[in-house]
Amino acid sequence: MTDWNAISDVEFRKEVRQFFEAEYPEELRHLPHRPKFAEIEHWHRKLHAKGWVAPAWPAEFGGMGLNAAKLLIFYEEQQRWGVNRGRDMGVQMVGPLIIKFGTQEQKDYWLPRILSCEDIWCQGYSEPGAGSDLANLRTRAEIDGDDFVINGQKIWTTMAHDATHIFMLVRTDPDAPKKQQGISFLLAPMNQPGVDVRTITTLSGETEFCEVFFDNARTPRENLVGELNKGWTMAKALLSFERIFIGSPSLAQNALGQLESFARGRGAFDDPVFRDRFAQAALDVEDHAALYARFADQLKRGETLGADVSMLKIWVTECFQRITELMIEAAGPDGGSIGPLQVGNVSVDVLASFYKARPTTIYGGSNEIQRNILSKAVLGLPG
Amino acid sequence: MVRELAEAGVFGVAVPEDQGGLGMGLAAGGVIAEEVGRVIAPEPVVLTIGLSLGLLRRLCPAHPKMAQLIGGEISLAVAWQERGPDGALADATCRYADGKLTGGKAWVVGAIGSLGFLVVAEGDDGPVLVLAEADADGLVIDKRAQADGSSLGELSFSGTPAVELASGGAVPTALAEAVADATALAAAELVGLSERAFEITLDYIKTREQFDKPIGSFQVIQHRAVDLNVICEVAQAGVREALAQMDSETDPKVRAPIASRAKARAVTAAKRITRDAIQLHGAVGYTDEFDIGLYLNRALVLSAWLGDDAYHRRIWFEAREAEGAAQ
Ligand SMILES: Cc1cc2nc3c(=O)[nH]c(=O)nc-3n(C[C@H](O)[C@H](O)[C@H](O)COP(=O)(O)OP(=O)(O)OC[C@H]3O[C@@H](n4cnc5c(N)ncnc54)[C@H](O)[C@@H]3O)c2cc1C
Repeated sequence: MTDWNAISDVEFRKEVRQFFEAEYPEELRHLPHRPKFAEIEHWHRKLHAKGWVAPAWPAEFGGMGLNAAKLLIFYEEQQRWGVNRGRDMGVQMVGPLIIKFGTQEQKDYWLPRILSCEDIWCQGYSEPGAGSDLANLRTRAEIDGDDFVINGQKIWTTMAHDATHIFMLVRTDPDAPKKQQGISFLLAPMNQPGVDVRTITTLSGETEFCEVFFDNARTPRENLVGELNKGWTMAKALLSFERIFIGSPSLAQNALGQLESFARGRGAFDDPVFRDRFAQAALDVEDHAALYARFADQLKRGETLGADVSMLKIWVTECFQRITELMIEAAGPDGGSIGPLQVGNVSVDVLASFYKARPTTIYGGSNEIQRNILSKAVLGLPG
Repeated sequence: MVRELAEAGVFGVAVPEDQGGLGMGLAAGGVIAEEVGRVIAPEPVVLTIGLSLGLLRRLCPAHPKMAQLIGGEISLAVAWQERGPDGALADATCRYADGKLTGGKAWVVGAIGSLGFLVVAEGDDGPVLVLAEADADGLVIDKRAQADGSSLGELSFSGTPAVELASGGAVPTALAEAVADATALAAAELVGLSERAFEITLDYIKTREQFDKPIGSFQVIQHRAVDLNVICEVAQAGVREALAQMDSETDPKVRAPIASRAKARAVTAAKRITRDAIQLHGAVGYTDEFDIGLYLNRALVLSAWLGDDAYHRRIWFEAREAEGAAQ
């Protein structure tokens, strides 16, 4: 097994770049939509054969074990070449949780299947009445023999219509004195009669999220991760993984690259005002990456991230939105047009980027909620 | 719907009475455009009041199509801009000779569903305004889908027959005037759209509960709502004043920057309001099941049409400098 951290950053970047450029299918570069697994399966197999599906996981679980600097390089190269993240909720979300809280059996069983994409995961947290106030969730799971029986509804479940499994927060003790208590973390198969998935169309006409209904759905008791009724604390631990991931520079970097080639092609840089706005956005991305590296290093040293990680997400999502707004500006009279816009030999889907940027300030804990967290937990403001 | 609007005199609102209109001016047109914006109506109201009738009433007021436009029987799209090889706006090269058009036009609003096209082209002796039927020979219409479900047409003419309506220096002058009218009316449409998007959002934050209370009880949400309301009011005041000023001004050099002032303000306001509206709705705002997304999409299209806020601020500033230099 290669110890990636032992080679120089320059060498590592070269190797990653070469692999992407040689192996990543041209027609999948900068995909404007979230692909179903079938669309990227071929690429996933190559990545899997190379052992590169989970750059951040420790090597003992089949990851690349990259340190913060290397991880940043990996993501940068991924963005630069427009390499799709693939169906990575398993790798980014449930995998780290199982690594941290799962039993040996759970690790042995689930982790390889995540890497191979034999199981494709979706995240079942939100419910109609439990968005920002996630602890308000009502979906019930009751023990019945060797199984949990699940009843209730999840919503906004990204790509649930293309997932084999769902990791979810469920209420296992409705009588607990506090809402945060009595919640458990469960893994469940989607392909069963008690699970009904309905897609929801987004305002840009995509079907990327769903409602998921549970009507006496079942999952074996061994699919409980961690202790019964202790799911909230674990989910919060996972949130800090999620926040550093959502707070990573990648989306903004990718959009900035697209903005640059589009604006250049359209002659937008002839305008000094536009040049200034572009420079501002570019520096916003660059300096954010510096802050990101600081947090990523902390993770690599094995420290737990503090509440201050929220600032990454606030900064980068809002910056991402500004970049896509600049794309629209550069598009001028094409600013309301759907689909790829051609400039020279590049084509950029301006509105697809714009739409992608909008919900980043809503999901993963809305930016208002992140600001609440920072003001209380970091600045120590009362209330 | 179009017929009802026409019976109410909507399309002829800014056409002088002696030309068969209501003679109420652009300010009244703006009130109508605001209503159109509120309900995000797909009808070609601003297109007809501002552009098609704006051109015809200045260049050939006796043309029989005038009455048909005012009566809502037909609509005519107006084609004057062209796309360069880099995809951006370019100098016009479309030619009109021997009764035929050759070349192309881009970003044509209402290209689908219009009876024909009012095309500004270069004739043998300078600029001309001609009318080409929608089903004319040698006319190919390439549809570009827009965020709001409408489409823009890219027209290409190869020896397409067209009838000359006007020629000479009056054509570009009338075009600039009609574009200024339509720009200011589009601003009014955005104002109406913004107001309604704000109202919908205000209702939502009063009713959606999280943490056991309406989200509108959180102070950060309250302040945000207040900001959006102030933005709405400033935009409405500015745009209405601009439209009234355009009615009392005759000098095209003065009217154009007033229209720019209106559009710059309205686009800035509509962008902010529709984007914040989605944010305040949370995930439901990102679906096509709630109306609020329709407002965002319509604002995208209206903002890009006839120049966005950055473009109009530049025009406004340049006009101001030129005026300063002249004094
Ligand atoms: C594209 C997309 C994909 C998603 N994918 C998933 C997924 O895969 N799995 C999953 O479980 N969930 C998913 N979600 C759901 C997401 O986690 C929720 O949208 C988010 O938690 C916000 O909840 P909500 O939409 O109900 O908004 P609400 O909580 O109703 O919030 C509405 C508005 O009120 C504000 N607000 C709420 N409370 C406060 C407060 N106390 N102070 C100040 N402001 C407040 C919010 O910031 C927001 O602006 C997804 C959402 C989107 C948009």
